Amino acid sequence: MFRHTPLRYGTLALLAALALFKAVTADYFGLEILTEILILAILVIALDMVAGFGGMVSLCHGALMGVGAFAYALLTVKAGLTPPLALAAAIGITGGAAWIIGAICARSHGIYFIMATLAFGQMAYSYVFQTPTFGGDDGLGGIARLDLTAFGIDLNDSRTFALFCLAALAASYCAIVGILRSGLGRSLTGIMHNEQRMRALGLTVWRVKADVFGLSGMIAGLAGALAAQHMMFISPGLLSWKVSGEALVVVILGGLGTLVGPIVGAAAFVLLKHEVSALTSYWHLVVGVILIAVVMSRANGIFGWIETRWTARKATRRTGPADAPLKEARTDA
Amino acid sequence: MLETRNLNKSFGAVPVTRDVSLTLERGERRVILGPNGAGKTTLFNLLVGELRPCGGSVHLAGEDVTTLPVARRARRGLSRSYQKNTLFDGLTVEENLGLAAAVATGHASRLGGDSLARPEVREIVAEVADQVNLTAHLHARVNEVSYGIRRQLEVGVALATRPLVLLMDEPTSGIGPEMSKGFHDMLKDLPRDLTLLIIEHDMDIAFDVADTITVLNYGEVVFDGLPEAARGSKLLKDIYLGAWEDA
Repeated sequence: MFRHTPLRYGTLALLAALALFKAVTADYFGLEILTEILILAILVIALDMVAGFGGMVSLCHGALMGVGAFAYALLTVKAGLTPPLALAAAIGITGGAAWIIGAICARSHGIYFIMATLAFGQMAYSYVFQTPTFGGDDGLGGIARLDLTAFGIDLNDSRTFALFCLAALAASYCAIVGILRSGLGRSLTGIMHNEQRMRALGLTVWRVKADVFGLSGMIAGLAGALAAQHMMFISPGLLSWKVSGEALVVVILGGLGTLVGPIVGAAAFVLLKHEVSALTSYWHLVVGVILIAVVMSRANGIFGWIETRWTARKATRRTGPADAPLKEARTDA
Repeated sequence: MLETRNLNKSFGAVPVTRDVSLTLERGERRVILGPNGAGKTTLFNLLVGELRPCGGSVHLAGEDVTTLPVARRARRGLSRSYQKNTLFDGLTVEENLGLAAAVATGHASRLGGDSLARPEVREIVAEVADQVNLTAHLHARVNEVSYGIRRQLEVGVALATRPLVLLMDEPTSGIGPEMSKGFHDMLKDLPRDLTLLIIEHDMDIAFDVADTITVLNYGEVVFDGLPEAARGSKLLKDIYLGAWEDA
């Protein structure tokens, strides 16, 4: 079951403070990186909700983000909808698409679930890539950001847009916590632990999986709509399996099933990408080595490793003197 | 309350359930006996819908539920515990009971509010924990408690769905005599309007708890009657009870 611990609250507070500090002090390039981190963080916490708490390891969340981005772009650029309406519609459309994918894939598990979601993602990518309405290989440009000038907020300003993305991440995080603590989220955790028993108790398992996948898709759709507004241009590459794969890498790097960890992972991934790619174009190799190290260490990602150390330290503090002889004995051996 | 009519099941050419017809009245406590491989667990799987029969039908409270999937039968009041513990290992005893109670109260698929904090869910959890003597262990994680406690929880989780009919597959398997005695008392204390169908190898418990006894052999009902009649049956002694009687 999802639980907040003092460490998780502390990490969230620290991350929020750091993001706020950077949003206020960073230059244009820094703000672009911060916004990229925040949008990726929204996507990966949506993925962590289904993968870390429901065992549904999805390889189509990149495509879902792409659906959100293209829906927002098409509705604003081609259909002439106002940005707020287009945003709401993009979130709804992505949620609907995710619900259908979730409902179809709900009966498969493990590698079969991964492959089924990958297939959906690639289908979406191919369709967008080959359809002139979506701009084909050229993508779509001229995407407008939300107009909040009525509230005295100009989202065309990079600093304000970064703060807006931070608020969207905070809202997404709270929404996911609310979902995980609801009956739906508790049942999802039960399904991950023992699907057969949940079914025997009378739960319609596929429906719970589809509902949560749909909600996760809505949040991925929000990330997509924000990505479209951030770049003001989108290409079919956004729906590629590489984006889904990177999202999964970020979740594992940060800490699967911790919700806080993937945010840490998003920051680490984007910073690594920018810092290492400035030194070498083989930055993927560096990220790969780090990912292998994280997986081989058996720690649950960066945040999982911190949590394990934290818990062990607390236990040592509680039982300190009793452990000391044991440690000595181990050293002697 | 629960009825089967000419229930048949084969795995390939091997028949494992042959023309099984049973009728359980509301509140009846029936024990199913039979040697290993007699088809007792297969019968349970057919009753709850984990297996589809090759022929025959299952009726719950007068409704034909033969084609209904597991979850829908469970929602109609058919609950089971398993021979091997089938619990939510990483969760606490309270959360295990709470998940079942949330399904029973219709909160398991809802958004908004913590289902485990709902008063009606907490009420069921407290009541069931008391029934299966787990009140003192509510906050313990399942993978940290003893096997005996897990067996109690196995029954508790099934009970927390508020069933009309409870099927228990060897609830005392693998536990010691002392804990078995506690289990025995717990079974006797369950509400009298709850219909029980129990697979049990402990003869003391079986004959003490049962209102009626059904004996299966090679998938076939070879005895169906009162415990007193079962004790005196030569057929039963031959196929099953000999060792027990001799002891």
